[in-house]
Amino acid sequence: MMRYAIRHVTRFEYGDAAAFARCNLRLKPILWSGQTLEEYDLSVEPGGHFVPARAPAGLANVVRLVVDEPTRMLTIDSRARVSVDRPVPVPGDDDPTLEDVAAMARASRDLSPAGPAAYLYPSPRIPVDGAIARWCAEQLDPASGVMAAGIALARRIQRDFAFDPSATLVDTAPADAFAKRGGVCQDFAQIMISGLRAAGLPAAYASGYLRTLPPPGEERLVGADATHAWVLLWCGPQKGWVGVDPTNGIWMAQDHIVVAIGRDYSDVAPIDGVMLGSGAQRLDVSVDVEPLDEAG
Amino acid sequence: MASRAQSATSDPTAIAQRWIAEYCAHSPAADSLCAARGEAHTAWQAMFEELAAINGDSLNRAHERAQRQADDIGTGYRIAGESEERPWPLSPIPLMIDGAEWETIAQGVAQRAALMETILFDIYGEARLVEGGHIPASLVTGSPFFLRAMTHLDPPGGYQLHFFAVDLCRGPTGEWRVLADHLRAPTGAGYALENRLAMSRALGGLQSRLNVERHAPFFAALRDGLTTLCRRADPRIGLLTAGRFNPSYPEQAHLARYLGFLLVEGADLAVIEDQLYVRTIAGLKRIDALWRRLDPRLLDPLAFDSASQIGVPGLADAMAAGNVVISNAPGAGAAEAAAFSAFLPRLSVRLTGSELRLPNIATWWAGQDDARDYVRDNLDRLVIAPAFGGAPLGLPGGKPVLGADMTPGERDALIAELERRPQDYVGQEIVKLSTMPVVADDALTPRPFTLRVFAARGPDGDWTVLPGGFARIGEHPDPRAALMGQGSWSADVCVTSSRAVEPVTLLPRTDAVRLRRNPGTLPSRAADNLFWLGRYLERGEALLAVLRVLLGNSISADTGAALPQATLDRLIALVTSGNAAPPPPGTGRSDLIAFARTALEDEGGWYSVRAINRQARAIGDVMRDRLAADMMRLLDAPFPATGGLLERAGMLQRRYAAIAGLSAEHMARTDAWRFVDLGRRLERAMAVSRTLRAFIDDDASGDDLSTLLDLADSQISYRQRYMAGLARVPVIDLIAFDPGNPRGLAFQIACIAEHVWALPILSDDGLAEPQQARADEIAAIVKTVNAADLDAAKLDEIDARLAGVSDAIARRYFLHGGEPLRSGGLTLG
Repeated sequence: MMRYAIRHVTRFEYGDAAAFARCNLRLKPILWSGQTLEEYDLSVEPGGHFVPARAPAGLANVVRLVVDEPTRMLTIDSRARVSVDRPVPVPGDDDPTLEDVAAMARASRDLSPAGPAAYLYPSPRIPVDGAIARWCAEQLDPASGVMAAGIALARRIQRDFAFDPSATLVDTAPADAFAKRGGVCQDFAQIMISGLRAAGLPAAYASGYLRTLPPPGEERLVGADATHAWVLLWCGPQKGWVGVDPTNGIWMAQDHIVVAIGRDYSDVAPIDGVMLGSGAQRLDVSVDVEPLDEAG
Repeated sequence: MASRAQSATSDPTAIAQRWIAEYCAHSPAADSLCAARGEAHTAWQAMFEELAAINGDSLNRAHERAQRQADDIGTGYRIAGESEERPWPLSPIPLMIDGAEWETIAQGVAQRAALMETILFDIYGEARLVEGGHIPASLVTGSPFFLRAMTHLDPPGGYQLHFFAVDLCRGPTGEWRVLADHLRAPTGAGYALENRLAMSRALGGLQSRLNVERHAPFFAALRDGLTTLCRRADPRIGLLTAGRFNPSYPEQAHLARYLGFLLVEGADLAVIEDQLYVRTIAGLKRIDALWRRLDPRLLDPLAFDSASQIGVPGLADAMAAGNVVISNAPGAGAAEAAAFSAFLPRLSVRLTGSELRLPNIATWWAGQDDARDYVRDNLDRLVIAPAFGGAPLGLPGGKPVLGADMTPGERDALIAELERRPQDYVGQEIVKLSTMPVVADDALTPRPFTLRVFAARGPDGDWTVLPGGFARIGEHPDPRAALMGQGSWSADVCVTSSRAVEPVTLLPRTDAVRLRRNPGTLPSRAADNLFWLGRYLERGEALLAVLRVLLGNSISADTGAALPQATLDRLIALVTSGNAAPPPPGTGRSDLIAFARTALEDEGGWYSVRAINRQARAIGDVMRDRLAADMMRLLDAPFPATGGLLERAGMLQRRYAAIAGLSAEHMARTDAWRFVDLGRRLERAMAVSRTLRAFIDDDASGDDLSTLLDLADSQISYRQRYMAGLARVPVIDLIAFDPGNPRGLAFQIACIAEHVWALPILSDDGLAEPQQARADEIAAIVKTVNAADLDAAKLDEIDARLAGVSDAIARRYFLHGGEPLRSGGLTLG
């Protein structure tokens, strides 16, 4: 088991005072198999208050931030203690095939946000794309076992794509990142999801944190971490959702902390909404994922 | 022979019989006209008799007449310059449907609407249909209009669906079937109204003679139905539009005006503590219900698409709190996909215990294995269409295709995709549409058609079906529905009744809104637009006046008495100071003509009359729900292109005068009128002050003073007051300070002060609001300054103060949110 102290600080600065903000915060980790939220605290400085978001939004804890006083700066501080006890998945010979998984997903009677049907179709930020579909299909033989195929595709993306923060922006379309064969975690997750869905498989977008190991012999840098994104692949009713991380070509296990799950980034953005003001906006984000103690 | 032909062509009955006989001699037997028997046939015959009585033996004339009426009615709500044509030009031949046949349609549509409500209620509630295996979850999640944020949220008023439309087709044996359902914000009801209005003008006597069912009771039911669901007894209802760039904006503006709804955009609205408000000149006013004509995903950036710039943050919260009825509920589109119709026959039996009265066309959703196999094995006999819209990889264009028409390559690709993502496709039977007559080359010819029928939930909660609707007629004779596309003509649909229908008036009694002399509060955005409409119109007029003086006195005059150089320079400076044209290289005849032409007509970046005119038109477009049709017509009229320069300027000046006359004489003295007039007065005051500044220095010559009087349209007033001839101070006094001169500065300022004191105020402490104080200050100055003391400095001060009044008006009455800043974009790993 791993325990983490996570701090995620977002700071906005405006050129002129913003007098109005309504934001959705999706910063509090959800309940998800393999992880427990031990403590959580959310604060905002200097002003503003929180109201629970009324509309249920799927697999995310949503809090509405309301600011009605003019402010030039806003600091949102999210702190969580999470323990993670999640075994590394092992593909087996009795795994359902991709074909079976697709058929089971189509016939599913579960309309809830945890059901596979919600993640079968193109979503606002992950449209269908022929090129991605063809490329991923090479890894997705309908007769192969779903878990083996899932990790193989993730590893191929990790191998063939360059991690390159300068290649893409937060709203770069999957097709563009694919054409560049480069990007960041969000691009890789979107490309993989697009390919899986094109093959008829239910694939969801997970956002959260990843424990990062400092280079050998160096100290861990506080606040130098980042939010992370990866993929959940539905592997049939027995196995359920299994996480794969195409950025690193690994399974989701002890090092991943899930914050929210959705069809794509638009469902899970840590902060989005409306702020009215004028002048330039500056944004600073710092994330720190500190392992507390290692046991087991 | 000659006399027989003569008598045959003048008798409407004989003409109508001959038209019908010739038409049916080479039309399909299933044609709506040719298959009609008994009363149904009588209705067609009577309609053609009416056409013949009005137009004689000329179908072309009937055609032209209908077009003229439609154009005339349409001008008031068509976007100028963008789509000069109606989306679907009106055919002069209405579709006649007799009462008995209509009854089956109406009952079928009402049944279907009720079924849809039940299904939506379940999808967004308990989801028992999915749990019980009656529909797969993937049938629901496939719809881009399934909005998860709407689950477990009781829609205020209790309904998901208030307004519903279906596209119907009439098959070869006369049976009606459903081609498509529209559950989001169906368009077309406004066009049905427009068509009816045009037809009742073109076919005056028909309606009473045939007992044609009226449209008005339907719209009354729609309005009263929404009203009933609101919490307040006298609710304010908005029609939420995406704005003027939306293709159906004119229809929306027309419906809003017709129904007495407030036409609003997202920026007009605000949610505060879960209440929805419209920003008006009298402050925030509650909105109780919205008829939304906006993509549901854009309604609320906090609940749906956070990138939406046109939605209302918090609208879903206001809805969840029960404070605003939204018609239709944002998630209602979830059940309108083609895939859904494959399940409706079974769901109808399961949920209502009865079969669908109006069957839909046979549909197979390939998301289920047996249906997928059927579709694959019968590609040649089916239309293949996207199950949920969009463009799945097997149908790259996203359009329905006839399986038989696919190339082998397309076919293989589709079959492969049917294995990978079968849920993205439906197969549908190939529907053959029945035909109806249209006019081509002075003769009747058959064309396939579809019929859009509308239903609204009335005040008792039951569905009312609009008797008639909107017929769309295919361009080509090919009767296969998949090939019809959007259709290219529309026709009125007349439902005849065997019982007497109350006499029809253009605006029937049931539509009369309850008596009210206060027209309601003016939204801030509308006030802003009206104010600027007034300013632009006046600005154009003022520039025209300068150009007319310049052209008339200096270059076209046969008298040869050109203005002296100094006066010309002053006029030129007036024009160039407004950036209407670059300074001319000289002041010869050709230089001045070129200069004036630029200032009048330039399209290349100078602030010409044409450019100003365009600004006024753009505002007219968004204000069409508030401006009279005649005013719209004048605003929309093309820029004059014929005649000499002076003549063209004169034409424009007369047009501007007509617009000014219309608003002075025909606009009700509401706050809306006050804003137009405020804009005019402010602009004119500024123009007068600018003109004075250009002409009244100590060097002003007699020519200068005379020209000044021309520009201020005050020659006659001056001569009535002063017999002695032109003198500087009397001229200044008349133009600047004489309160009795309606073209003078003092008069404009008095009007401005009157307006701002008559408009609503927010405070109740009796103190002047800033715009009132500013207006009073400038009025006091104008009253106390002596004409002999008016100099450039004083005029500068007046100018600055006028700008101050304008700013104060804008700050007090208009919208001024900052630009929305979007956050997000935080995933970096």
